[in-house]
Amino acid sequence: MSIINYAAKEINFKVVYYGPGVAGKTASLQHVHRSLPDGKKGKMISLATGDDRTIFFDFLPVSALTVRGFVTKFQLYTVPGQVFYNMTRKLVLRGVDGVVFVADSQFERLKENVESFRNLEENLREYNYDLDRMPCVMQYNKRDLPTAAPVPYLEYMLNRRARRMPSFESVASRGAGVFDALNTVSRMVLLSEFGQEQEVQRNAS
Amino acid sequence: MLRDLVIHENEAARIGQVLGSFLEESGASEALLIDRSGQLVASSGKTATFDTVSISALAAGAFSSTGAIAELLGETEFSVLFHQGVRESIHVSTVDGETILLAIFNDGTTVGMVRLFAKEACRAIGAVLAEARTQPRRVGALASPLSADETRSQIGPESR
Repeated sequence: MSIINYAAKEINFKVVYYGPGVAGKTASLQHVHRSLPDGKKGKMISLATGDDRTIFFDFLPVSALTVRGFVTKFQLYTVPGQVFYNMTRKLVLRGVDGVVFVADSQFERLKENVESFRNLEENLREYNYDLDRMPCVMQYNKRDLPTAAPVPYLEYMLNRRARRMPSFESVASRGAGVFDALNTVSRMVLLSEFGQEQEVQRNAS
Repeated sequence: MLRDLVIHENEAARIGQVLGSFLEESGASEALLIDRSGQLVASSGKTATFDTVSISALAAGAFSSTGAIAELLGETEFSVLFHQGVRESIHVSTVDGETILLAIFNDGTTVGMVRLFAKEACRAIGAVLAEARTQPRRVGALASPLSADETRSQIGPESR
Protein backbone atom coordinates (compact mmCIF):
# COMPACT_ATOMS: atom_id res chain seq x y z
CA MET A 1 0.00 0.00 0.00
CA SER A 2 1.80 3.06 -1.19
CA ILE A 3 1.85 6.29 0.77
CA ILE A 4 2.36 9.51 -1.14
CA ASN A 5 3.33 12.41 1.10
CA TYR A 6 3.19 15.70 -0.78
CA ALA A 7 4.32 17.64 2.27
CA ALA A 8 7.47 15.55 2.89
CA LYS A 9 7.92 14.91 -0.87
CA GLU A 10 8.17 11.18 -0.31
CA ILE A 11 6.62 8.10 -1.84
CA ASN A 12 6.74 4.91 0.23
CA PHE A 13 6.30 1.37 -1.00
CA LYS A 14 6.44 -2.04 0.62
CA VAL A 15 8.18 -4.99 -1.04
CA VAL A 16 8.04 -8.47 0.51
CA TYR A 17 10.49 -11.32 -0.07
CA TYR A 18 8.42 -14.50 -0.06
CA GLY A 19 9.34 -18.16 -0.48
CA PRO A 20 9.95 -21.43 1.36
CA GLY A 21 12.19 -21.77 4.42
CA VAL A 22 15.95 -21.49 3.91
CA ALA A 23 15.52 -20.41 0.28
CA GLY A 24 17.63 -17.27 0.80
CA LYS A 25 15.19 -14.46 1.61
CA THR A 26 17.11 -13.19 4.62
CA ALA A 27 20.42 -13.72 2.79
CA SER A 28 19.11 -11.54 -0.05
CA LEU A 29 18.17 -8.75 2.34
CA GLN A 30 21.54 -9.05 4.08
CA HIS A 31 23.28 -8.60 0.75
CA VAL A 32 21.23 -5.48 0.00
CA HIS A 33 22.10 -4.16 3.44
CA ARG A 34 25.83 -4.88 3.01
CA SER A 35 26.00 -3.35 -0.45
CA LEU A 36 24.25 -0.02 0.00
CA PRO A 37 25.95 3.09 1.37
CA ASP A 38 24.61 4.47 4.66
CA GLY A 39 22.70 7.31 2.98
CA LYS A 40 20.57 4.87 1.00
CA LYS A 41 19.61 2.43 3.73
CA GLY A 42 18.25 2.36 7.26
CA LYS A 43 18.85 -0.14 9.99
CA MET A 44 18.23 -3.82 9.23
CA ILE A 45 16.10 -5.56 11.81
CA SER A 46 15.83 -9.34 12.02
CA LEU A 47 13.27 -11.02 14.23
CA ALA A 48 14.80 -14.48 14.25
CA THR A 49 15.05 -17.54 16.48
CA GLY A 50 18.31 -18.54 18.19
CA ASP A 51 19.31 -20.60 15.14
CA ASP A 52 18.79 -17.65 12.77
CA ARG A 53 15.46 -18.77 11.34
CA THR A 54 13.12 -15.84 10.71
CA ILE A 55 10.29 -15.98 13.23
CA PHE A 56 8.35 -12.84 12.23
CA PHE A 57 10.18 -10.77 9.62
CA ASP A 58 13.38 -9.02 8.58
CA PHE A 59 13.03 -5.36 7.76
CA LEU A 60 15.24 -3.01 5.78
CA PRO A 61 14.25 0.45 4.54
CA VAL A 62 16.08 1.62 1.39
CA SER A 63 15.90 4.64 -0.89
CA ALA A 64 15.78 4.55 -4.67
CA LEU A 65 16.06 7.39 -7.16
CA THR A 66 14.24 10.68 -6.74
CA VAL A 67 11.33 11.01 -9.15
CA ARG A 68 10.07 14.52 -9.99
CA GLY A 69 11.37 15.82 -6.70
CA PHE A 70 9.89 12.96 -4.67
CA VAL A 71 12.21 10.58 -2.84
CA THR A 72 11.02 7.02 -3.50
CA LYS A 73 11.53 4.73 -0.54
CA PHE A 74 11.07 0.99 -0.38
CA GLN A 75 10.51 -0.89 2.85
CA LEU A 76 11.82 -4.40 2.30
CA TYR A 77 10.43 -7.25 4.39
CA THR A 78 10.97 -11.00 4.46
CA VAL A 79 8.43 -13.50 5.75
CA PRO A 80 9.17 -16.60 7.83
CA GLY A 81 9.37 -19.42 5.29
CA GLN A 82 8.53 -22.31 7.57
CA VAL A 83 5.07 -23.69 6.82
CA PHE A 84 3.66 -23.40 10.35
CA TYR A 85 4.27 -19.63 10.54
CA ASN A 86 1.49 -18.81 8.11
CA MET A 87 -0.30 -16.43 10.44
CA THR A 88 2.73 -14.17 10.79
CA ARG A 89 3.46 -14.52 7.07
CA LYS A 90 0.02 -13.20 6.31
CA LEU A 91 0.50 -10.23 8.66
CA VAL A 92 3.70 -9.22 6.89
CA LEU A 93 1.89 -9.17 3.52
CA ARG A 94 -0.47 -6.48 4.70
CA GLY A 95 -0.20 -3.46 2.41
CA VAL A 96 2.34 -5.08 0.08
CA ASP A 97 3.10 -3.28 -3.22
CA GLY A 98 5.48 -5.79 -4.76
CA VAL A 99 6.82 -9.31 -4.20
CA VAL A 100 10.17 -11.00 -4.81
CA PHE A 101 9.54 -14.74 -4.72
CA VAL A 102 12.79 -16.44 -3.69
CA ALA A 103 12.73 -20.05 -4.85
CA ASP A 104 15.24 -22.67 -3.74
CA SER A 105 16.60 -24.06 -7.01
CA GLN A 106 17.44 -27.50 -5.63
CA PHE A 107 15.49 -30.45 -7.07
CA GLU A 108 14.63 -31.69 -3.60
CA ARG A 109 12.97 -28.36 -2.68
CA LEU A 110 10.64 -28.10 -5.69
CA LYS A 111 7.59 -29.22 -3.74
CA GLU A 112 8.21 -26.59 -1.04
CA ASN A 113 8.57 -23.89 -3.70
CA VAL A 114 5.28 -24.79 -5.33
CA GLU A 115 3.50 -24.96 -1.98
CA SER A 116 4.92 -21.61 -0.89
CA PHE A 117 3.88 -20.00 -4.16
CA ARG A 118 0.34 -21.30 -3.73
CA ASN A 119 0.40 -20.04 -0.17
CA LEU A 120 1.44 -16.59 -1.42
CA GLU A 121 -1.50 -16.51 -3.78
CA GLU A 122 -3.91 -17.61 -1.06
CA ASN A 123 -2.62 -15.10 1.46
CA LEU A 124 -2.79 -12.27 -1.07
CA ARG A 125 -6.35 -13.23 -1.86
CA GLU A 126 -7.27 -12.81 1.79
CA TYR A 127 -6.38 -9.14 1.43
CA ASN A 128 -8.23 -9.03 -1.91
CA TYR A 129 -4.96 -8.68 -3.79
CA ASP A 130 -4.69 -10.40 -7.15
CA LEU A 131 -1.33 -12.03 -7.80
CA ASP A 132 -1.81 -11.46 -11.53
CA ARG A 133 -1.94 -7.71 -10.96
CA MET A 134 0.72 -7.55 -8.25
CA PRO A 135 4.25 -6.54 -9.33
CA CYS A 136 6.12 -9.79 -8.72
CA VAL A 137 9.48 -11.23 -9.79
CA MET A 138 11.00 -14.71 -9.45
CA GLN A 139 14.44 -15.08 -7.95
CA TYR A 140 15.84 -18.58 -8.49
CA ASN A 141 18.39 -18.83 -5.74
CA LYS A 142 21.28 -21.21 -4.98
CA ARG A 143 22.24 -21.45 -8.65
CA ASP A 144 25.77 -22.37 -7.60
CA LEU A 145 24.73 -25.72 -6.10
CA PRO A 146 25.27 -28.89 -8.16
CA THR A 147 21.79 -30.04 -7.12
CA ALA A 148 20.12 -27.01 -8.71
CA ALA A 149 17.39 -27.83 -11.24
CA PRO A 150 17.69 -26.24 -14.71
CA VAL A 151 15.97 -22.85 -14.97
CA PRO A 152 13.50 -23.94 -17.71
CA TYR A 153 12.32 -26.67 -15.35
CA LEU A 154 11.82 -24.16 -12.51
CA GLU A 155 10.05 -21.84 -14.91
CA TYR A 156 7.72 -24.66 -15.89
CA MET A 157 6.97 -25.46 -12.25
CA LEU A 158 6.60 -21.92 -10.92
CA ASN A 159 6.20 -19.40 -13.70
CA ARG A 160 3.66 -20.46 -16.28
CA ARG A 161 0.74 -18.19 -15.48
CA ALA A 162 -0.83 -16.13 -18.24
CA ARG A 163 1.27 -13.18 -17.11
CA ARG A 164 4.84 -14.46 -16.93
CA MET A 165 6.92 -12.89 -14.18
CA PRO A 166 10.43 -11.61 -14.87
CA SER A 167 12.82 -14.20 -13.44
CA PHE A 168 16.41 -13.98 -12.25
CA GLU A 169 19.09 -16.43 -11.22
CA SER A 170 20.84 -15.65 -7.97
CA VAL A 171 23.41 -16.77 -5.45
CA ALA A 172 22.23 -14.70 -2.51
CA SER A 173 25.08 -15.77 -0.21
CA ARG A 174 27.50 -13.84 -2.40
CA GLY A 175 24.95 -11.40 -3.76
CA ALA A 176 24.84 -12.37 -7.42
CA GLY A 177 21.51 -11.49 -9.04
CA VAL A 178 19.92 -10.03 -5.89
CA PHE A 179 19.81 -6.44 -7.16
CA ASP A 180 18.65 -7.54 -10.62
CA ALA A 181 15.48 -8.87 -9.01
CA LEU A 182 15.06 -5.98 -6.58
CA ASN A 183 15.61 -3.21 -9.12
CA THR A 184 13.15 -4.87 -11.49
CA VAL A 185 10.41 -5.25 -8.91
CA SER A 186 10.91 -1.64 -7.79
CA ARG A 187 10.47 -0.48 -11.40
CA MET A 188 7.36 -2.59 -11.74
CA VAL A 189 5.95 -1.10 -8.54
CA LEU A 190 6.62 2.45 -9.73
CA LEU A 191 5.13 1.69 -13.13
CA SER A 192 2.07 0.07 -11.65
CA GLU A 193 1.48 3.12 -9.45
CA PHE A 194 2.53 5.97 -11.72
CA GLY A 195 2.99 4.58 -15.22
CA GLN A 196 1.02 5.21 -18.37
CA GLU A 197 -0.88 1.96 -18.20
CA GLN A 198 -2.20 2.77 -14.76
CA GLU A 199 -3.43 6.11 -16.01
CA VAL A 200 -5.30 4.44 -18.84
CA GLN A 201 -6.89 2.00 -16.41
CA ARG A 202 -7.95 4.78 -14.06
CA ASN A 203 -9.50 6.80 -16.85
CA ALA A 204 -11.37 3.81 -18.15
CA SER A 205 -12.89 2.92 -14.78
CA MET B 1 -8.54 -4.12 -0.26
CA LEU B 2 -6.37 -1.75 1.75
CA ARG B 3 -6.56 1.77 0.46
CA ASP B 4 -3.51 3.73 -0.54
CA LEU B 5 -2.90 6.87 1.43
CA VAL B 6 -2.14 10.36 0.18
CA ILE B 7 -1.08 13.15 2.49
CA HIS B 8 -1.28 16.61 0.95
CA GLU B 9 0.24 19.71 2.58
CA ASN B 10 -3.07 20.66 4.15
CA GLU B 11 -3.58 17.28 5.86
CA ALA B 12 0.08 17.15 6.91
CA ALA B 13 -0.30 20.51 8.65
CA ARG B 14 -3.53 19.49 10.39
CA ILE B 15 -2.09 16.17 11.54
CA GLY B 16 1.01 18.03 12.76
CA GLN B 17 -1.21 20.33 14.82
CA VAL B 18 -3.13 17.45 16.39
CA LEU B 19 0.08 15.60 17.26
CA GLY B 20 1.60 18.80 18.71
CA SER B 21 -1.41 19.42 20.98
CA PHE B 22 -1.45 15.76 21.98
CA LEU B 23 2.18 15.94 23.12
CA GLU B 24 1.54 19.14 25.03
CA GLU B 25 -1.56 17.88 26.82
CA SER B 26 -0.48 14.32 27.52
CA GLY B 27 3.13 15.02 28.46
CA ALA B 28 4.36 12.32 26.03
CA SER B 29 7.67 13.01 24.31
CA GLU B 30 7.03 11.53 20.85
CA ALA B 31 4.01 10.78 18.75
CA LEU B 32 4.14 8.63 15.61
CA LEU B 33 1.26 8.10 13.23
CA ILE B 34 1.86 4.70 11.64
CA ASP B 35 0.18 2.91 8.79
CA ARG B 36 -0.69 -0.69 9.75
CA SER B 37 1.49 -2.00 6.95
CA GLY B 38 4.43 -0.59 8.95
CA GLN B 39 5.12 2.77 7.35
CA LEU B 40 5.52 6.01 9.22
CA VAL B 41 2.91 8.55 8.08
CA ALA B 42 3.73 11.50 10.35
CA SER B 43 5.59 12.21 13.55
CA SER B 44 6.05 14.91 16.13
CA GLY B 45 8.44 15.39 19.03
CA LYS B 46 12.17 15.02 19.47
CA THR B 47 12.23 12.31 16.83
CA ALA B 48 15.90 12.81 16.05
CA THR B 49 16.73 10.69 19.08
CA PHE B 50 14.83 7.57 18.00
CA ASP B 51 14.91 5.43 14.87
CA THR B 52 11.27 6.16 13.99
CA VAL B 53 11.30 4.12 10.76
CA SER B 54 12.31 0.94 12.62
CA ILE B 55 9.95 1.68 15.50
CA SER B 56 7.09 2.05 13.01
CA ALA B 57 7.75 -1.29 11.32
CA LEU B 58 8.09 -3.11 14.63
CA ALA B 59 5.11 -1.44 16.30
CA ALA B 60 2.86 -2.21 13.33
CA GLY B 61 4.07 -5.83 13.52
CA ALA B 62 3.44 -6.01 17.26
CA PHE B 63 0.03 -4.38 16.91
CA SER B 64 -1.03 -6.70 14.12
CA SER B 65 0.20 -9.80 15.93
CA THR B 66 -1.67 -8.88 19.12
CA GLY B 67 -4.65 -8.22 16.85
CA ALA B 68 -4.34 -11.80 15.60
CA ILE B 69 -4.24 -13.01 19.23
CA ALA B 70 -7.39 -10.98 19.91
CA GLU B 71 -9.12 -12.74 17.04
CA LEU B 72 -8.13 -16.11 18.45
CA LEU B 73 -9.83 -15.04 21.69
CA GLY B 74 -12.97 -13.99 19.84
CA GLU B 75 -12.27 -10.25 20.09
CA THR B 76 -12.20 -8.00 17.02
CA GLU B 77 -8.92 -6.46 18.18
CA PHE B 78 -7.11 -5.07 21.22
CA SER B 79 -7.56 -1.36 20.63
CA VAL B 80 -4.73 -0.34 22.97
CA LEU B 81 -1.23 -1.72 23.50
CA PHE B 82 0.99 -0.60 26.35
CA HIS B 83 4.62 -1.54 27.01
CA GLN B 84 6.30 -0.29 30.13
CA GLY B 85 10.05 0.24 30.30
CA VAL B 86 12.35 1.44 33.06
CA ARG B 87 12.67 4.90 31.51
CA GLU B 88 10.62 4.96 28.33
CA SER B 89 7.21 3.40 27.73
CA ILE B 90 5.01 3.15 24.67
CA HIS B 91 1.28 3.38 24.21
CA VAL B 92 -0.27 2.36 20.89
CA SER B 93 -3.90 2.95 19.99
CA THR B 94 -6.19 2.52 17.01
CA VAL B 95 -6.87 5.54 14.80
CA ASP B 96 -8.85 3.76 12.10
CA GLY B 97 -8.79 0.47 10.22
CA GLU B 98 -5.50 1.38 8.59
CA THR B 99 -3.53 3.51 11.02
CA ILE B 100 -2.34 3.51 14.63
CA LEU B 101 -0.97 6.18 16.93
CA LEU B 102 2.15 5.42 18.97
CA ALA B 103 3.18 7.61 21.90
CA ILE B 104 6.54 7.38 23.65
CA PHE B 105 6.57 8.74 27.18
CA ASN B 106 8.60 8.62 30.37
CA ASP B 107 7.92 9.21 34.06
CA GLY B 108 7.14 12.87 33.35
CA THR B 109 3.54 11.74 32.77
CA THR B 110 1.28 8.72 33.37
CA VAL B 111 -0.22 6.09 31.12
CA GLY B 112 -3.66 7.39 32.16
CA MET B 113 -2.90 10.86 30.81
CA VAL B 114 -1.48 9.45 27.60
CA ARG B 115 -4.47 7.16 27.14
CA LEU B 116 -6.95 9.98 27.77
CA PHE B 117 -5.46 12.40 25.26
CA ALA B 118 -4.55 9.69 22.74
CA LYS B 119 -8.23 8.87 22.45
CA GLU B 120 -9.01 12.47 21.51
CA ALA B 121 -6.05 12.72 19.14
CA CYS B 122 -7.04 9.47 17.40
CA ARG B 123 -10.53 10.79 16.78
CA ALA B 124 -9.22 14.06 15.34
CA ILE B 125 -6.62 12.36 13.14
CA GLY B 126 -9.18 9.80 11.99
CA ALA B 127 -11.33 12.65 10.67
CA VAL B 128 -8.37 14.19 8.80
CA LEU B 129 -7.41 10.82 7.28
CA ALA B 130 -10.98 10.13 6.21
CA GLU B 131 -10.84 13.38 4.24
CA ALA B 132 -7.35 12.59 2.94
CA ARG B 133 -8.60 9.32 1.48
CA THR B 134 -11.09 11.20 -0.68
CA GLN B 135 -8.39 13.47 -2.14
CA PRO B 136 -6.94 12.85 -5.63
CA ARG B 137 -3.78 10.76 -5.46
CA ARG B 138 -1.90 12.39 -8.25
CA VAL B 139 -1.69 16.14 -8.45
CA GLY B 140 1.03 18.70 -9.18
CA ALA B 141 4.32 17.13 -10.20
CA LEU B 142 2.83 13.62 -10.16
CA ALA B 143 -0.31 14.46 -12.17
CA SER B 144 0.92 13.10 -15.49
CA PRO B 145 2.13 9.50 -15.89
CA LEU B 146 5.85 8.87 -15.47
CA SER B 147 7.83 8.11 -18.59
CA ALA B 148 9.73 4.84 -18.98
CA ASP B 149 12.95 6.68 -18.11
CA GLU B 150 11.51 8.06 -14.89
CA THR B 151 10.42 4.64 -13.69
CA ARG B 152 13.91 3.23 -14.10
CA SER B 153 14.16 2.89 -10.34
CA GLN B 154 17.57 1.74 -9.22
CA ILE B 155 18.21 0.71 -5.65
CA GLY B 156 21.59 -0.92 -6.14
CA PRO B 157 24.10 -2.14 -8.73
CA GLU B 158 23.00 -4.97 -11.02
CA SER B 159 25.13 -8.02 -11.74
CA ARG B 160 25.46 -7.45 -15.45
